[in-house]
Amino acid sequence: MSEDNHLRDVFDAIADPTRRRLIRLLAESEEMPLHELTAQFPMGRTAVSKHLTILKEAGLVLDRKVGRETRFRLNASPLREIQDWVAFYSKFWSTNMLRLNQLLEEEEE
Amino acid sequence: MSLTLSLDFQYTTSIEKLWSALTDSSKLAKWVMENDFKPVVGHRFQFRTQPFNGWNGIIEGEVLIVDAPNRLSYTWESGEKHTVTWTLQDLGDGKVNLHLEQTGIGNAQGLEGAKYGWTNWSGELEKVLEQ
Repeated sequence: MSEDNHLRDVFDAIADPTRRRLIRLLAESEEMPLHELTAQFPMGRTAVSKHLTILKEAGLVLDRKVGRETRFRLNASPLREIQDWVAFYSKFWSTNMLRLNQLLEEEEE
Repeated sequence: MSLTLSLDFQYTTSIEKLWSALTDSSKLAKWVMENDFKPVVGHRFQFRTQPFNGWNGIIEGEVLIVDAPNRLSYTWESGEKHTVTWTLQDLGDGKVNLHLEQTGIGNAQGLEGAKYGWTNWSGELEKVLEQ
């Protein structure tokens, strides 16, 4: 597909509401350890960790070890692909809507 | 898992005229593409344009909802099956709001062909508008 070399499709990564929430949480803070993230969800560390792995595979999350804990942060740039994709549709319809307006104006004359 | 495109437009016209522009084949040809559209539930239609690099220029669909002059819905297939729903709302004072919702926009992989087509396509349309 596209030029990126992620293991996982970014569209796949954002399909899950827990992962979207994780993205949101990470967007609001610079860096968060797993236990702080886990505290936000009605599920265990392992489950949250699995979701983070999927986000990592899509390039949306970066992690680093600090002592005994792993801290996670957001890398939002792969989201660009989603924005671009939706923008094509938006552009197409916006163009056509202008033509519809012209058509309706012609009819008035 | 899918993405939804949601857009609103306002026109100075009557709801009946806008409905006609959305459902009359010859009018649709003027602002969308050549087509054999009919506002009849179950009718299968095609929108056709010049093929662009790797895209055959055909969009196929089936009419799902015809609720004149308020709501119209049909499938929209070009590499992937989407659903397009138009909602018309009379705002009074000769203004009508047109809401577009296109659902089922799925993952990029299966859509690459269509995506390419759409890009070229909207570029072509812009050229037409500039003439």
